[in-house]
Amino acid sequence: MSVAPVATHRAPGFSRSLIGQCLYALAAVAAVAGAATVKTDGYVANILMQAVTYAIAVFGLSVVLGLCGQINLAQAGFFALGAYAVGLGTTDYNIPFFVCLAGGMAIAFVAGGLLGLSTLRLGGHYLAMVTISFQQILTVTLINAIGITHGPDGVSGIKRPDLFVSSQAYLALAVAILAITGYLVWRLANMRLGRAMRAVRDNEIAASAAGIDVYRTKVAAFAICALLGGLGGGLFAGGFAYISPDQFAFSDSIVLLTMALLGGIGSPVGAAIGTGLLILIPEWLRFLKSVPGLYLAIYGLAVILIVVFMSDGIWGFIARLFHRPVAALPPPVAPLALKPADSGAPAALEVRGLAKYFGGLKAVDGVDFTVRRGAVHALIGPNGSGKTTTLNVVSGLYRPTAGRILVDGVDVTALSAHRRTIAGLGRTFQNIRLFRSMTALENVVIGAERDGNVQVAHRRAALEARARAALDFVGLGARADEVVTRFSYGHQRLIEIARALAANPTVLLLDEPAAGLNSSEKKSLHDLLDKIAAQGLTILIIDHDMTLVAGVAERLTVLNFGRRIADGDTAGVLQHPDVVAAYLGVG
Amino acid sequence: MGNVLQLLFTGLGIGAVYALVALGFVLIFRATSVVNFAQGEFSMVAAYLMVVFAVDLGWPYWLSFLLAIGGMALLGAIFNLGVYYPLRNRSFLPVIISTIGASIFLSNTVLALYGPQPQVLPGWFDAPGVQLGPVYLDSQYLLIIAVTIVLVAFQYWFFEHTLLGKKLQATSQDKEMAALLGIPVATMIMITFVYSAVLGGIAGILVAPVLFVSIQMGSTIALKAFAATIIGGFGDVAGAIIGGLALGIIETFGAAYISVPFKDAFAFLVLILFLAFRPQGLFGERVAEKA
Amino acid sequence: MALIEVADLHVRYGEIEALRGVSFAIDEGSVVTLLGSNGAGKSTSLRAISGLLAPQSGSIVYDGKSIAGLGPEAIVRLGIAHVPEGRRIFPGLTARENIMLGASNSRASRAAISREAEAMFALFPDIRPFADALGWKLSGGQQQMVALARGLMAKPRLLLLDEPSLGLAPVIVQAVFRIIEEIRKRGTTVLLVEQNARMALKVADWGFVLETGRLALGGAPDALWSDARIRDAYLGGPQAKASS
Repeated sequence: MSVAPVATHRAPGFSRSLIGQCLYALAAVAAVAGAATVKTDGYVANILMQAVTYAIAVFGLSVVLGLCGQINLAQAGFFALGAYAVGLGTTDYNIPFFVCLAGGMAIAFVAGGLLGLSTLRLGGHYLAMVTISFQQILTVTLINAIGITHGPDGVSGIKRPDLFVSSQAYLALAVAILAITGYLVWRLANMRLGRAMRAVRDNEIAASAAGIDVYRTKVAAFAICALLGGLGGGLFAGGFAYISPDQFAFSDSIVLLTMALLGGIGSPVGAAIGTGLLILIPEWLRFLKSVPGLYLAIYGLAVILIVVFMSDGIWGFIARLFHRPVAALPPPVAPLALKPADSGAPAALEVRGLAKYFGGLKAVDGVDFTVRRGAVHALIGPNGSGKTTTLNVVSGLYRPTAGRILVDGVDVTALSAHRRTIAGLGRTFQNIRLFRSMTALENVVIGAERDGNVQVAHRRAALEARARAALDFVGLGARADEVVTRFSYGHQRLIEIARALAANPTVLLLDEPAAGLNSSEKKSLHDLLDKIAAQGLTILIIDHDMTLVAGVAERLTVLNFGRRIADGDTAGVLQHPDVVAAYLGVG
Repeated sequence: MGNVLQLLFTGLGIGAVYALVALGFVLIFRATSVVNFAQGEFSMVAAYLMVVFAVDLGWPYWLSFLLAIGGMALLGAIFNLGVYYPLRNRSFLPVIISTIGASIFLSNTVLALYGPQPQVLPGWFDAPGVQLGPVYLDSQYLLIIAVTIVLVAFQYWFFEHTLLGKKLQATSQDKEMAALLGIPVATMIMITFVYSAVLGGIAGILVAPVLFVSIQMGSTIALKAFAATIIGGFGDVAGAIIGGLALGIIETFGAAYISVPFKDAFAFLVLILFLAFRPQGLFGERVAEKA
Repeated sequence: MALIEVADLHVRYGEIEALRGVSFAIDEGSVVTLLGSNGAGKSTSLRAISGLLAPQSGSIVYDGKSIAGLGPEAIVRLGIAHVPEGRRIFPGLTARENIMLGASNSRASRAAISREAEAMFALFPDIRPFADALGWKLSGGQQQMVALARGLMAKPRLLLLDEPSLGLAPVIVQAVFRIIEEIRKRGTTVLLVEQNARMALKVADWGFVLETGRLALGGAPDALWSDARIRDAYLGGPQAKASS
């Protein structure tokens, strides 16, 4: 009986184990039962209510920021949308509570998606500003659109659903919802969408090259985050029966963010811890609130200190202490099946008249070449000749200024990078782009689960089997469950190749695969490339190591100053006087 | 027509304040790639220092001004060392969050020390203003515009005609290359933070007599200054100034002709529109990510 | 007399071991060239000397003093100037301003620096017409001249040049190498990293060839050029694969 493998440097692997899920269910049931039966005074009940509803909102942040790496400084705004939907809906319009709650969640979901649309062209600071702006506009609207929102007076007399009118019952309801959403967020990390989010967070460009629609993933992350914010807000409104605009200001978004950071944005467990601490601690330190501003001042200082010293948060810190060693026995898998598509078109890859100008710089200036099906073809040239730019244009990272690219006879010039991957292009990167928070297996699974990969059924067991097969193919099958940062540079390169192979590409683009490898690693790489070619894949390789290139490639295309200066069989090209001059210099 | 001119004057006045804050903000960004969310708090702290010196202690205005600016220089230095320096090699996210934390820390420390009541800071001049045809030129607004012109002129001279200014520019453009030439990069960054804090402080002291001095004044001004830098083109110095002036005018006209309570929202609407359709602003470069 | 001596240098560049025990020495007043294909470790060697990278182990002794691990600002003050790959002209400053900033390692007055910059234009007459043009507007060749002039403003005893011919048309390359000759005549020691082995060996007194982080060859220019192994370092060994 094999032990379920556990990843190192991740939260203890309860995520998939049955034991973990059962424990979670037990704890959840106990919490709900406790909330329903244990009598507490109103003050404690309020604290718990606030903690529970905030925690749900913070779960949202653990999705958009923790999983997907996108900053959202408007979570209090989404919280407000849910709160006001419930507040106004039950009082002004007499709509039943759960309908309002669902409505609030829907509104928040759409708003979150809209905000997520802005990520199309913006990231980082700009995204932060857009989210702040959204928050500010919402706050101003809440205060000033008095006809709808009651303005600064707020909304009072918010009604709870008939079944849950008593404080205890309502709290139990909230705890139950907390448990369910917590579970879903926990599971999300290992679902396809969650994996896509983590890939986007770790390395957007690699995610795109692996076939992930980065933009759609970000929009989904924002929408889910907002949905959870709205849910928390709606429950908050019912819990406290009174809401007003000053509870949903920018500073509250910051409070939510701090809760996420303190606990650790990587997981909902962290979110819960952070929320709990940051609501309970101030209560124990209630005296701090007697001096207005002192509490928040310390809060602000705490944010700085957490960011500087404890960027993984409390849970991240604990998780690192408790990582378990990897189990030794991976299950045996069938060998990797590589069946590159063959439409019958004469060439696997054709580049016609390719040009790429960066302003006045003509990096690629009219390049043509054809890569025969099943061939190993190298693109070489001295430094600055345009080979890397050419590769980046072919793989979709840059839009060409002119020219066309055909993969297996299909014109892919207008397709984005991830669509080209779906069309059969695979690539590796010169400066290795692995998803550093994930295991080798997860990295390769992401490659395997690209849309349109007919070599594997899109179910977890099949995907993992294929990923293991790919890792076996490159010789790393035994270490599939280790986090990629623990591998040597040469091995990381192999994992990248496995990730590309798992997607069953038609053409494999290798960007300086030998860079940084020592001679024995290069020999292994040479053997691996031969093995890949023997399966019928077409390979286009860029590299500076001429010994390797001459050894694996049958045909060479040579660039210099952005133009093609030679093209043909390897031996002939390497003796071509223009090529020798290009490399060794004229003078 | 007189009304339009009046609004224009007021818009320029308030726009000049945004321009100064935006300028400090852009300088830090160009030198360090840090978006300083605490820039507004520099203005707020300076205003409170003025209240302490000029109102509570009753010291002469010019002396209070110098002391307040001195305090801001010190604050800029501490900010550089405590908030930027430990995170200088990390990605943008921890830095953004850290400056947000600093912003909260500063505003609430002032709150804890001074209390929540908004304060009143008298203007520099006793005379309220000058009537010029149909336009009433408020003296404080005149002062704001005059000081801004002087500061912008000084900045231009400093950056274009002194070697130190050139070294600062070089550091912003290519830190590593500057170090290779022997330019003391850490010192250049320190100067940038100190200068930006002083700029923000001057802006706060200038605008304080027009608004109330309150804890929130910093964040309101700062967010508008961000909007100004986006409009002008993120990272562009001239853009920050023009963006600030433009925003002041848009806001003032918006308040007069559309709605007063929603005037604060205009800045953000304009910001979102620019970010959606022209993220490089009026003068900035393309914002696209490269491989 | 060796001006600078590098012994058993190991340098990591990110996760890669870029230099694996490199040793060489350079005599004062000579031009030494460091050759090799891309990725061989040439730029890394310069970056280790100028202080941009700290070596893992090994020593760098300059003028009798150990400088390994010092920062770039300290090293340029000791008289080592590095003109890095890609020119790296400050795009928003004029050619003249770029050149003047080359003297940032000294405490000279602005007037003195201005005079020295003028003298530079005498050495680089081709860029005098562009003295007040902004950096980003200059052509590759002009930028290279400005970068060289800027490097010389530091009055270095040792000048590190990283791929000055990169991306330049052959005619400009000739001009650049004429200037390197001129620099040598003025007594500055030059360590020249180049991919263009031909041009480099014409101007150098001595050459080393790096191959994946190790020193593969070393010798006088003529001997190196006629050594068949130098071709192998750039174009691979004789075992080219036959096409199928």
